[in-house]
Amino acid sequence: MINRRSLLSFAAVSLLPNMAFAADWSAVEAEAKGQEVYFNAWAGADNINAYIAWAGEQVKARFGVTLNHIKITDTAEVVKRVRDEVKAGKADGSVDLVWINGENFRVMKTEKLLFGPFAAALPNFAFVDTVGKPTTLQDFTETVDGLESPWGMAQFTFFGDGAKISSPPKSMIELAAFAKANPGRVTYPAPPDFHGTTFLKQALVEATSDRSIFAKPIDKEAFAAAAKPWLAFLDELRPSLWREGKQYPKSQAEITQMVADGELLIGLTFNPNEPANLVAAGTLPKTTIAWQHAAGTIGNSHFVAIPTNAKAKAGAQVVANFLLSAEAQARKNDLKIWGDPTVLDVTKLSGDDAKQFANLPAPGSVIFPAPAMLEPHGSFVPLIEAIWLDHYGKG
Amino acid sequence: MSLVLEKISAYLGDTRIFESLSLTIEPGEIVTVMGASGSGKTTLLAAIAGDLPTPFYAVGKVILNGHDMSKVRPEQRRIGRLFQDDLLFPHLTVGENLLFGVERGPKAMRTMQMKEALQRIDLVGLENRAPHTLSGGQRSRVALMRALLAKPDAMLLDEPFSKLDRALRATIRDYTYAHLQERKIPTLLVTHDFEDVPKAGRVIHV
Amino acid sequence: MVGPLRQGVTGKVWRRAFGSPIIILFVLPLVVSLLFALGAAFDLSAWQLLWAHPQLWPALGLSIFTGLMSVLLSASLAIIIVAGLYLSGWWPRLSFPIGAMLAMPHVALAIGLSFLIMPSGFLARSVALFSGWTTPPNWITNHDPYGLSLIAALVLKETPFLMWILISILNRQDVRDNFNGQRAVGLSLGHTMTSIWQRLYLPQIVPKLVWPLFVVFAYAATVVDMALVIGPTQPPTLATLVWADINDSQVLNNARGAAGAWLLTVAIAIVALGVWGLANVIFSRREWLTVGPAPRALIKVFFFARLKFSSLISVYLIITVLLVILSFAALWPFPNLWPEILSISAWSRVGLDPSAFFTSGVLAVSTTVTAFALVIAWMETQPQMRDKYVTLLSATALGVPAIVLALGQYRAFLQLGLTGSTFGLFLAHLLPVTAYMFIVLVGPYRSFDSRWQASASGLLASFPRFFWAIKLPLLKAPLLAASAIGFAVSFGQYVPAQLISAGRYSTLPMEAVTLTSGTNRPLTAAFTLLLMVPPLLVFMAAAHFGKSRWSKL
Repeated sequence: MINRRSLLSFAAVSLLPNMAFAADWSAVEAEAKGQEVYFNAWAGADNINAYIAWAGEQVKARFGVTLNHIKITDTAEVVKRVRDEVKAGKADGSVDLVWINGENFRVMKTEKLLFGPFAAALPNFAFVDTVGKPTTLQDFTETVDGLESPWGMAQFTFFGDGAKISSPPKSMIELAAFAKANPGRVTYPAPPDFHGTTFLKQALVEATSDRSIFAKPIDKEAFAAAAKPWLAFLDELRPSLWREGKQYPKSQAEITQMVADGELLIGLTFNPNEPANLVAAGTLPKTTIAWQHAAGTIGNSHFVAIPTNAKAKAGAQVVANFLLSAEAQARKNDLKIWGDPTVLDVTKLSGDDAKQFANLPAPGSVIFPAPAMLEPHGSFVPLIEAIWLDHYGKG
Repeated sequence: MSLVLEKISAYLGDTRIFESLSLTIEPGEIVTVMGASGSGKTTLLAAIAGDLPTPFYAVGKVILNGHDMSKVRPEQRRIGRLFQDDLLFPHLTVGENLLFGVERGPKAMRTMQMKEALQRIDLVGLENRAPHTLSGGQRSRVALMRALLAKPDAMLLDEPFSKLDRALRATIRDYTYAHLQERKIPTLLVTHDFEDVPKAGRVIHV
Repeated sequence: MVGPLRQGVTGKVWRRAFGSPIIILFVLPLVVSLLFALGAAFDLSAWQLLWAHPQLWPALGLSIFTGLMSVLLSASLAIIIVAGLYLSGWWPRLSFPIGAMLAMPHVALAIGLSFLIMPSGFLARSVALFSGWTTPPNWITNHDPYGLSLIAALVLKETPFLMWILISILNRQDVRDNFNGQRAVGLSLGHTMTSIWQRLYLPQIVPKLVWPLFVVFAYAATVVDMALVIGPTQPPTLATLVWADINDSQVLNNARGAAGAWLLTVAIAIVALGVWGLANVIFSRREWLTVGPAPRALIKVFFFARLKFSSLISVYLIITVLLVILSFAALWPFPNLWPEILSISAWSRVGLDPSAFFTSGVLAVSTTVTAFALVIAWMETQPQMRDKYVTLLSATALGVPAIVLALGQYRAFLQLGLTGSTFGLFLAHLLPVTAYMFIVLVGPYRSFDSRWQASASGLLASFPRFFWAIKLPLLKAPLLAASAIGFAVSFGQYVPAQLISAGRYSTLPMEAVTLTSGTNRPLTAAFTLLLMVPPLLVFMAAAHFGKSRWSKL
């Protein structure tokens, strides 16, 4: 029998914080009204730009917040700009919200360039699937600590034209064989491009037998020893790559374009739904297929964060919260719009909200899904990039 | 050596400048063409030299030593010219200016011709000077000698003395005529100054 | 009573104050930026990091190689074409096509050229028509390791620029008169036109070309936007390496980038001095000047000048047409010579968000008008002997690699709180515009015959009346040409815009370069065309309104 007191205490535990929350949040919303939020986000993909424009219209109509999409090519520019501004004592910074993850986040966190913690206080954060999607709390092995709010999910995925690829290579070994059979038709972007580095990480993980090393920091000597099988693999792969591995495309988008032109056979992406989205947009043929390596591919989340010197912090939080809403996440998840997987736990949502997330199987969808693997520790990244540059960067 | 002009007419578009001019200049003879400004004296010289600028055109024949030059490129006609301005090339020394027209051949030979020429115009030792450091009279003499060193078969003089001051003018003029007659070069002179007409020379008015 | 005689207008003290705007808006920001850039050079650890970079030397070699090759090739091509067309029937009409080619921004040309030559580009598709390819060939065209495609793009872009310089030298009245006389003398001494160019014209023109050639070299060796679009990737040119470092998230890499920028600057200076010295040694052997008339032209260097010039124009036209088609090509699979699906979606997207176009347009107009006023105010109120300081600074602004200047500017503006501000962005664009306009105008403006003013005064015309009714109309052509150049320079600025705007403002070149890293080709093409058309229209307008009232066309 539940007595009055326990009922009350239950209410006190579960409701009170939420109420306090609500009071705080409405203050944030009130402050946000009329603010201009400069959202610095990579702008190489038109569908993403269109999605951000849609989000801008929504927050303008609902919360009176003006969202300006600052179109950038590389998030590193933003990190540098914020640091320079903070160093120069500029309190009303030029960045209010930034699309970020991984190394850039780690740098901003370490250098205390981020505002927060704020993420957990966003009302819609309650629906984030932090258990099923641990990368929403752990950004490339760096704990998020509420300094960034999750926006979308990513898992390393390959794609190509099913009419030209009878059986897609489902491991790096198979990929090398495929490249040998089709010389000049496979490549990856040069690091430090994000996708290029991830390709190298994926190859490193697949080439390493003892995967426990990836959870901990590593030093140069230990890495040099661990990297031997990986380098051997890359050396073997290189001559059958595009332009014999002497030149590399600058970006994943460039590779996608070359796949669309037929110059390359295999493309890569962090968004498993991007191929399907590109089929819908007419860029890729309807016979496109996508797959992941059988033993798993690297997965992570991407986030939005607020710099410590942001001028419109309240407005930025309102935008971050809106981006987490079921409506915004469902639209983002829609293959025809963007196709970026949600960070939410759909089972926590009401039935109507949850239904919006169902994507029908579409041409270009992933036909061989695989489990997501955690990113190697952040200390691997500079070592991978340096050793690659030394071996393959000189033409 | 003789220069024969046969029925030369010149036009600017539809406008006729002069018509059907015929003339034979004997070796060493200096024929003077006189006329007011705009009467086409310079056009005539350009037509003979073969570099009439495009809006103008001329018909007729230029015969030099029996050869029809009418269709020959200007640089192959061997017709020397002197102008109002001495037109010494400003980026070349006096000596280099003189050498400019000397036939190809052994260096020593060419240099000798250049030095000899300097001697003849009383400018020995000035071969390394820049043209602008010379006086007007000296420059005129260099220009004359430069033209002569190219061994022309005929000469065209386009008011070459008009910019010289009076004192210098007679000297340079006599000097020029003496050199031309000595070499038996048929010469056509354009001027509007009667003083320039050589003694007993023929004069044509256009 | 004996007193001083009245002096000319520039003698009046109060008028001299009109020289201060150019000092405040141009000279000061420039000097401060240069000092800040210099400050970035003294960081020992940055230099150590730079030496350790495995791509440093190959990248530096590539930068110098692409720079030297493009300046040598474009200079030769420009001279050959100009010499071949000199005083031909095409001569009076050259300025129009050259102006149109000058108006095309560098990055637009690079984007268009890569669409033409890349393995899936139009050239390969034309070959596929005969060879039956169904997949793009393994051509190494764009992003080739030796930077040849980058050199090609630079040569295409710089040849019209050098031709324009040559033509403006040759069209000066004094030069024209002298050269006409020299040609007649040269011909009468038995020299061919080729020989006259080699022995008479070029030795007099080339000294005037030294600075433009250096500017072209420095530009080509440090260009970032073109190299990103079409240049080599592994290793890239040093300029793109430096650019990536300057924009990196790591402080250490930022410093390494600054050191790299200075290394590149010093290397350019040394190479330029070396080439200059070498050229002096070669040309000091003067015998070839006076070797005497050849019986006929031994080498017909200036042969087919019309064909060469027409080919140059054709490449520009093909690129433009290609960009137009691409901007409508929703789907254009490989071997097809014509798109499968045409759509206006790219253009409607452009229409939906015209802010970048608007920003670039407003910046270009406002900086051109401001620079115009600054330069005229200076010329009208300052004694001519002071010109040399501003000319020197302008030449420095154009000769110092853009990345170095932009880096200094960024650091200085950051301290002054000007990054991300409208005024900061305006100043960053004003700097190159003023530099170009000053250099272009100083000659025509100062050689303006003072007897015009004397005779106007004799007719009782006041100074303003003389200025508006006589001086501006007489100087109309150079003033309009300089304004068109100013507009085009502002409209095409990428490096400083990217750094100073702090993302607050998006200009057209920034959008275009961003889009080339994406997959939407129609949109990239549309933005590239947007980048081309306004400068082109301005050039056409300048050519049209700059014509003398007596010209028939």
